[in-house]
Amino acid sequence: SQPMTGRQAAELQSKVVPSKQILHSDNMEMEPETMETKSVTDYFSKLHMGSLVYSCTSKRKNK
Amino acid sequence: LHLCRMEASCLELALEGERLCKAGDCRAGVSFFEAAVQVGTEDLKTLSAIYSQLGNAYFYLHEYAKALEYHHHDLTLARTIGDLLGEAKASGNLGNTLKVLGNFEEAIVCCQRHLDISRELNDKVGEARALYNLGNIYHSKGKNVASARTHDPGELPDDVKNALQKAADYYEENLTIVTELGDRAAQGRAFGNLGNTHYLLGNFRSAVLAHEQRLLIAKEFGDRSAERRAYSNLGNAYIFLGEFETASEYYKRTLQLARQLKDRAVEAQACYSLGNTYTLLQDYEKAIDYHLKHLVIAQELHDKIGEGRACWSLGNAYTALGNHDQAMHFAERHLEISREVGDRSGELTARLNLSDLQMVLGLSYSTNTSMMSESHVVENSLNGTRPRVGRRHSMENMELMKLTPEKVQNWN
Repeated sequence: SQPMTGRQAAELQSKVVPSKQILHSDNMEMEPETMETKSVTDYFSKLHMGSLVYSCTSKRKNK
Repeated sequence: LHLCRMEASCLELALEGERLCKAGDCRAGVSFFEAAVQVGTEDLKTLSAIYSQLGNAYFYLHEYAKALEYHHHDLTLARTIGDLLGEAKASGNLGNTLKVLGNFEEAIVCCQRHLDISRELNDKVGEARALYNLGNIYHSKGKNVASARTHDPGELPDDVKNALQKAADYYEENLTIVTELGDRAAQGRAFGNLGNTHYLLGNFRSAVLAHEQRLLIAKEFGDRSAERRAYSNLGNAYIFLGEFETASEYYKRTLQLARQLKDRAVEAQACYSLGNTYTLLQDYEKAIDYHLKHLVIAQELHDKIGEGRACWSLGNAYTALGNHDQAMHFAERHLEISREVGDRSGELTARLNLSDLQMVLGLSYSTNTSMMSESHVVENSLNGTRPRVGRRHSMENMELMKLTPEKVQNWN
């Protein structure tokens, strides 16, 4: 294989020498995301329920 | 199907889906929501709510492609019916999902929309939540760019620093509002992520201050998971401040809580951190004790990468104690595992360690693999002609480098 350049060697060296960066590189603990919520009960207001009941009963009468 | 019966059964199915998701059974909840969509409804606001909850359920189930699909349907629907608040919420959820998928630019556009509408509607709660989302996106973006590129030790690249600084600014803005609102839970979240952002920026004192606030709020709520997170993050920050004793105290509390919470993976991580901290304190017996505990759990969880790390750490600690037989055993295990998982740099490290140990033990070490001859070139160009037995002892006087702690990815 090709002999390495000094820079490549230095790069490799930085990989093999243990450091705090390596030791503590992957255990940072994040807080959870917050998602926005919707609910059918929010949207299905009493008013809407009323109009649905009305439309159902009127449809039944029309049959 | 009769329209009324259809509407009613769609609503019933959706309500059952909501109940199940609230109870924590998202998988079952999804089935009911999907059934509700199948039945259909003429009420577009109801449909929008169903899409939104389907998107969130899939998000929590880590099925992000599906989450994206449903949040996108929700957004389209909200726009169609001119529901501005609904549009803001859908944009926020879409943004969070895009963030997880690594699509940061589109995520920013969506969460910015969430922010703009919230401000337009004078909705302080929505505004704060959008700011938190934006902070999270910029944090992820910074972390992502930092780990995807190797840069010279010393300084963070400008784009990484800019993204992280933006994240910090958004978290601060969020904190201002949620403090006014007296929302302690939201403050806790912002402090935690702000602390982690300062940590990546190398502002370790600020990181400590933020995580201390996070800890305080976690205790207020009796939230032991959040408490454990804060201890762990405090430990990390103290390591980089060079205060290893303090770090060890925090990691011990992390370990205690991990055991109480019966979380083996987190327990393993705490043992690993403690092993490394005692290595930095040059107390190798304690380091070995914790690395062995980590090794046992890593094997139990079939975590090969963790096992490799444990073996490497144990090899180092035994070498420091002059116990070369044990060091040899773990260096060999490290080599085996590195090969198994295809970790080339781990393999090289293991070979270098083995060759050092062979020399110490007075054995002739000959091999004709290209890896070994390569490593001789490394040795020669760095340390003159003779490989140094003391190279591994660099662990004892590890220097504080001003890099992002997440920079080095060789062990991931």
